[in-house]
Amino acid sequence: MLSKIKLTAITAVAAVVGLAVWPLVFGEADFYYQIFGMACFYGVLAIAWNIYALSGAISLGHAAFFGLGAYGSALLCHYGQWSPVITIPLGAATGAAFGVLWGVFFRNLRGVYLGLATLASVEIPKVIIDNWGSVTFGSLGIVGIASLPDLSLFGLEIPFGHSLKAQYYLLLLFLALAGLIHYSSLFSRWGWALRAIRENETAAVMAGVDIFRRRFEALILSSYLTGLCGALYAHLIGLIEPALVFNLHISALPLVLSIFGGRFALLGPVLGALILYPLDQLVLQPRLPTGHEAVYGLVLIMTIFFFPKGVATWLLKPRPAVWK
Amino acid sequence: MEIYAQILVSGFSLGSFYALIALGFSLIFGVTRAFNLAHGELIILSGYLAYAFWKFSGLSPYWSIPVCLLVMPGAALLLNLLVRRLKAPFELNSLVVTFGLALFLQNSMLFLFSADYRLIQPETVHFFQVPGLPVNLTENQLMLLLLSLAATAAVHGVLHGTFLGKALRAAIQDRQAALLAGINVGRIGMIAFALGGMLIGLAGPLYAQTMYLHPAAGLEATLLAIVITIFAGVGSTRGILAGGWLLGVAESLAAFVLGAGWRELVSALLLISLLVFRPQGIVLKSGT
Repeated sequence: MLSKIKLTAITAVAAVVGLAVWPLVFGEADFYYQIFGMACFYGVLAIAWNIYALSGAISLGHAAFFGLGAYGSALLCHYGQWSPVITIPLGAATGAAFGVLWGVFFRNLRGVYLGLATLASVEIPKVIIDNWGSVTFGSLGIVGIASLPDLSLFGLEIPFGHSLKAQYYLLLLFLALAGLIHYSSLFSRWGWALRAIRENETAAVMAGVDIFRRRFEALILSSYLTGLCGALYAHLIGLIEPALVFNLHISALPLVLSIFGGRFALLGPVLGALILYPLDQLVLQPRLPTGHEAVYGLVLIMTIFFFPKGVATWLLKPRPAVWK
Repeated sequence: MEIYAQILVSGFSLGSFYALIALGFSLIFGVTRAFNLAHGELIILSGYLAYAFWKFSGLSPYWSIPVCLLVMPGAALLLNLLVRRLKAPFELNSLVVTFGLALFLQNSMLFLFSADYRLIQPETVHFFQVPGLPVNLTENQLMLLLLSLAATAAVHGVLHGTFLGKALRAAIQDRQAALLAGINVGRIGMIAFALGGMLIGLAGPLYAQTMYLHPAAGLEATLLAIVITIFAGVGSTRGILAGGWLLGVAESLAAFVLGAGWRELVSALLLISLLVFRPQGIVLKSGT
């Protein structure tokens, strides 16, 4: 009989191979490259959110990191005239810097109160960027952000700037790397400490876990990864504005995807992204051009009622012996 | 000097409205411990209802108030049915579920009413002179002030003058003890949702006449309600009124001194500071 871990590993490898191979079979299909590329992108965002959630923190404000990462990279690119290859990792650090502020100011907040504080904190960078027009271009946003540079590798040209297929593979790689980070955060000693904090803080302290540090580290990792997503987004899309990157949906999406997929399972957040996002884009978006994102709200409500631990955990649940 | 008197008066009028917004949230949260993040969205929904009624009926905008007062408690009771089925940890689950509801409502309103800004604008604007002050109030501001204060006074009267109010206050203070005293806490929770729904119903049309309706405008109202509730502690009508006035004046001042764009930051910063520095504010003597 397959163990849970083995089953998860096989699913993960099969999914990555499947996602990598289908373009070879079906040929050129820009529309699908874009949708599945963005599904991978939101998968990374969900993983980033979930790393902080491993410590028991339900954040309603990850858009702050996302928007700061996007603005950090776009402004560095604009004023410094550096290549996006440098500005993306640097810009993402703006997100992590805001994460440090959360870690310091919200260290005594838990549960609902932490959720409220994170929700309100998104307003701070948003309003500042909105009003500091001389530097950030205000509510008009930044247009014409440099796209990703083309890469030549062993004489092979990879056009990340304009080919959706190349971007799709880049995002798939990004997702695979984030998946590895998620794996090592779940099953390392560090990850067990985080989960001990989630389950029972007092017991974790008694077992010798430095709860402030572990939680802080998780937050920094999570906010940097989210900032990275934001920075990448700015260069992929080419335009950003405060209302777009600090949107409530950016905070909500990783939460919905993780909770729907299963925030306790290794593949949960990714599963959520790979199921829900294409479903939304392929099925609902053509029928309901405005308002199709209502589905995320509905899915969140239904998940809490019917699969409180998420779909992945539900699928992996031990069945009665007859079923095996 | 004159301009500051004007700011004070409009802040006062706005603040009374904020108190009305917070009162519904505080009542529902106090009695049932359900964190309703969709509070603002429900107010905006009620506002759109009033807008649609005003647009299609051609009557005075005030006729939409009774309609909203009838419809919104129904919506709140549906929410009550949903929230009551939640398992532990109740507060966090209610936060996440109502967050989902807020997303759903925002997008549904986007679909139904589009992203355009909408406002109920009467054809003629009447001005009133405030006696003894060099300040003018529009008819809107006056009605906002009067109706908000009347609703707050009515809730205060119910809470402190009736037997039902006593039961509500008992449930706010200690659910277990209220149960032991023979109060049907489930039914009291339903009543709190219905009352909260009426307050939401009243707030909607007033919102539509004062501020621009927009599908994403609900979050700000929710934050306002939470700030004032935490400031006042649950179940204190006087505290909520004071909190609303302070916030209204602070926002008007910030908008005047720093510019209108910075106004949104006031409630967010206040909420964070209250949570960080006064976390005990929201929890009463014996929280459950």
